Amino acid sequence: MTVNVLLVADSDSQLLACQALARHGDGREVRFTVNAIPREGTPETVLQALERGGPLWRLTPLQLLADPRLDDFAAIGVYLTGSKLAEFRSVYQLSREQQRRPRRPLFCGFNGVVLERFEEAIAWRLGYDLICLNGPRDQARLELLLRHTPFSGQRTVLTGLGRQRPQAPGNERPRRMVFAEQVVMPAALAERRRLVRILARLARRSPEWELLIKPRVAPHESTFHAVDTHISHTLRDTLGSPPANLQLSYAPLPKLLAQSRLLGTVSSTALFDALDLGCRAVVMDDFGLRPDLGTPFFAGSGLLRSLATADDLDSLAAAADPDPAWLHWVGYHPQFSPANLLEALRELQTHPLPPLQLSQPGYVVNAADLSTNQLRRGAETAIRCGDLEEATRLLEMAQLQRPDNRNISRRLAALRLRPALLRRLALLVTPRFRL
Amino acid sequence: MRLGLICDGEPGLGACQRLGCALAHAGAAVTLISTAPPAGRPGTPAGASNDALGWLPLAPLAAATSDLVQGFDALGVFLEGSALTAFRSAHQQAAELRGRPACLLFTGPFRPLCGDALMADLLPRLGYDLIAVQGEAQRQELDWLLRSCGRSGQAQVMLGLWCLPTEPIGHAPPQDPVLLVLDNAQVPPSPFANRVLYQRLRSIALETPSWQVRLQPDAPLPPDPSDWPETSLLWHGLQDRQRPANLQLGEGDDLLLALMQASACLGIGSSWLITAMVWGKPTVVLGDYGIRTEFNGPLFFGSGCMARLADSLPLERLRERPAVNAAWLDARGWGIADGPARLLRQLEALRP
Repeated sequence: MTVNVLLVADSDSQLLACQALARHGDGREVRFTVNAIPREGTPETVLQALERGGPLWRLTPLQLLADPRLDDFAAIGVYLTGSKLAEFRSVYQLSREQQRRPRRPLFCGFNGVVLERFEEAIAWRLGYDLICLNGPRDQARLELLLRHTPFSGQRTVLTGLGRQRPQAPGNERPRRMVFAEQVVMPAALAERRRLVRILARLARRSPEWELLIKPRVAPHESTFHAVDTHISHTLRDTLGSPPANLQLSYAPLPKLLAQSRLLGTVSSTALFDALDLGCRAVVMDDFGLRPDLGTPFFAGSGLLRSLATADDLDSLAAAADPDPAWLHWVGYHPQFSPANLLEALRELQTHPLPPLQLSQPGYVVNAADLSTNQLRRGAETAIRCGDLEEATRLLEMAQLQRPDNRNISRRLAALRLRPALLRRLALLVTPRFRL
Repeated sequence: MRLGLICDGEPGLGACQRLGCALAHAGAAVTLISTAPPAGRPGTPAGASNDALGWLPLAPLAAATSDLVQGFDALGVFLEGSALTAFRSAHQQAAELRGRPACLLFTGPFRPLCGDALMADLLPRLGYDLIAVQGEAQRQELDWLLRSCGRSGQAQVMLGLWCLPTEPIGHAPPQDPVLLVLDNAQVPPSPFANRVLYQRLRSIALETPSWQVRLQPDAPLPPDPSDWPETSLLWHGLQDRQRPANLQLGEGDDLLLALMQASACLGIGSSWLITAMVWGKPTVVLGDYGIRTEFNGPLFFGSGCMARLADSLPLERLRERPAVNAAWLDARGWGIADGPARLLRQLEALRP
C-alpha cells in the first residue's frame, strides 16, 4: 500500500532538504507532496525543481492546518526553523483535538550537516514523533543531551547525508572545479576577499581548468542568513578583472557537480552532494579549524587541503579520498537513508506511541509552548476567558524574551491598569496579537 | 612531583589556585605562574592552604620560554584560544634551541562547558600531552572531537569539577531568607532585556519584604561603578534611585560568602549555579529565555533545576524546588572524588 507523506517547508535550504527526501518517493511504496509556505525571496528555481518532482502546494500554515486533505496523509514532515517547528506541532495537535480529527505522526529533521547549536535545535524539536538525524555522530550527541532526563524516550531515526541519486565518477568530465560559496562562512569581508584572492591565484596556476564559483543565492534571492555583500560584488571589488578561467555560475548545483571533477568548499553540505554525483571534493583549510566556519566538523574527513599552497587543481583532484570511518560517523553511508524513515513511520502506524510529555518539573523545553508567539496567543486566550492573572503571567514571560516589542509592553500595561473599567478600555484599544 | 600551573587572570586564576591546593594536598609541589598574585580566598580544600602554593609573577609567553620552567616535571597550561597554541609552540621552540626536552604539558577546560563552547575550547588544546576534562560528559565530547579529527592516542584524564568550589560548607543561612541572583554581565546581552529582568526582580522584592533579594555579580566588575556594563543587573540596580531596602547589590569579591549564606539561588547561565546545586541550595536556572546556546542553556538543560520566573513565585515556593538531577551532576564531574590523584598518576605515567 502506498504511504502518502506531506512535507512542509519555507526557506530555500529547508525546501532543498524536502527535495532530497522527496527524491526517495517512488510513487508505489511512498508518495511525497511538498507544501512550500509562501515566502518572499524563495528562489524560483528551487520551487520549479520541486514541481518537477511531484505535487507542490503553496499554502500558508493556517490554510494548511484547515485543509481537509491533511487527513489523507499518513505522516507529516515539518522542515521549518526552530520556533515555527514547535508552533506547527503545537497548533497541529490542538487543531486535531478541537476538530476531533485523527492525529498523524509528525516528523522533522535537519537540512544538511549541523555545524553549530545542535542542542538548541533539539530543544525545539522535542515532542515530534520522530526526529530525523544524519548519523551516529548526531545520535550520540542527542543521547548525551537527553540522558537521565524525562525526554530520553524521544524517538529518532538516521536518514543520512546522501541527497542525490548516486552517479559514477567520470574522468572524462571536463577539468572543472565548482566552489560552493556560503554566505557567512567566512563572514568578515576581509576574509571573503582573501578567499576570492586564493581562488583567483589557484585558477591562474591551473590554466587548463575552469574554476566556477557557485553563489549560495543570486543577488535578488534570500536565504536564512542576511548578507550585506553578495559574492559577485566581492569578486569584482577584490579582483577588478578576474582570470578568464574563474567565473561565477548560477546553474543548479547538482547539474554543475555532475559535470565537474572537483568540488571545493569551506564547510558546505554540498560536499555530500558532490560525493553522490561522482565528483571529488576538498575542504578548504586555509582559515584553519574554526568553530565559526564549521570546519572542525570536517577535520577527520581526510579532505582538508590548503588551496593557497596547492600546486594546482590537478594535484588537488589527484588526492582527495574521504576517510570511510569518518563518512560513516557523520552519516554518509548506505545504512543511513530515508528508507529508515519509512520503516520507522510504518512502525509508528502499527505501534503508535503517546506524544512525549514536554512539561516536566525542573525542565524547560523550547518546544513546550515557549515561543513568544505562543505565549502571546495564550495570553489573548486567557484575556478572552477572563483569566487576567494568567494573561499577565504569559505576557511577562513574553516580555522577558522580547523586551523591545512595544505591543507586548502595551498589552501588559493595559492588563495592569486599575480600575477594571480603565483596564477594559485599554485592552480594547491596545493591539491584540494575531498570527 | 613539581608542577607549574599557568593562567592569565580570572576565572583561570581562581580555578588554578583551587587545583593547586588540591594537588599540594595530594603530595605535589605546586607553583602558580601568573602576573596577578593568588588571592587568599575561601573555598580551597580542607587541609591545604594557599600558603602551600608558590607563585612566579610571569606572563604566559614569558613563562613558556623561561629557564625557570625547566625545573618543573609538568606544566599545566590553563589559558584559552590562540594563547594555548602560542604557549605550546613557544615552549617547544625554546626547548629545541636549548637542546633539551620540552616540559610535559597538560591542559583542560576550566569552565563547566558543553556543546559548541566545549568544542571551541578543546580544539586548541589538541596536541597537548594530556587533556584533563571534568567529567564523563566532557570526556565523551572530547572522544567525538578526537574521532572527528582522526586523532588517536591523545592522553586524557577526568579531573572532576575542579574549577568550582564544591567542598562541603558549614555556614548556617542567616535568619532572613536570601534569594541570591547570580548576575552574568553578558547575559542577556541587551541592556533593555536586563532592565526588564531588573524591574521584575524589583517587583518581587517589593512583594516579598520578608526576603532579601541580592544581585550578585558572578565575576568581579570594574572598581568604578560608572564602568559597569549596562548589560548587568547591577548597573540597573545602581540607576534605581528608589531601590527597595531588601534589594541589595553584592560585590564580586563576596561571591563565595554570598553563595554560602544564600537560602536560594537564581541565575541564567552562571557556572556558579552548579556550586549552589552541589551545596544543596534550592536553585532556579531561569528558563524564560528557553534553551539558548549563548545563555549556557545546553549545559543546564538536564540539571532538573530549570524553571520560569513566574513558576518560582512566591519566593516561599523556592524551598520546594526539585533537587538537582544527580546523574546530570555526576556526568559534569561531581562523581569524581580523586581527580588530583588521577592527574598525578597520569602525569607520572607520561613522564619520559
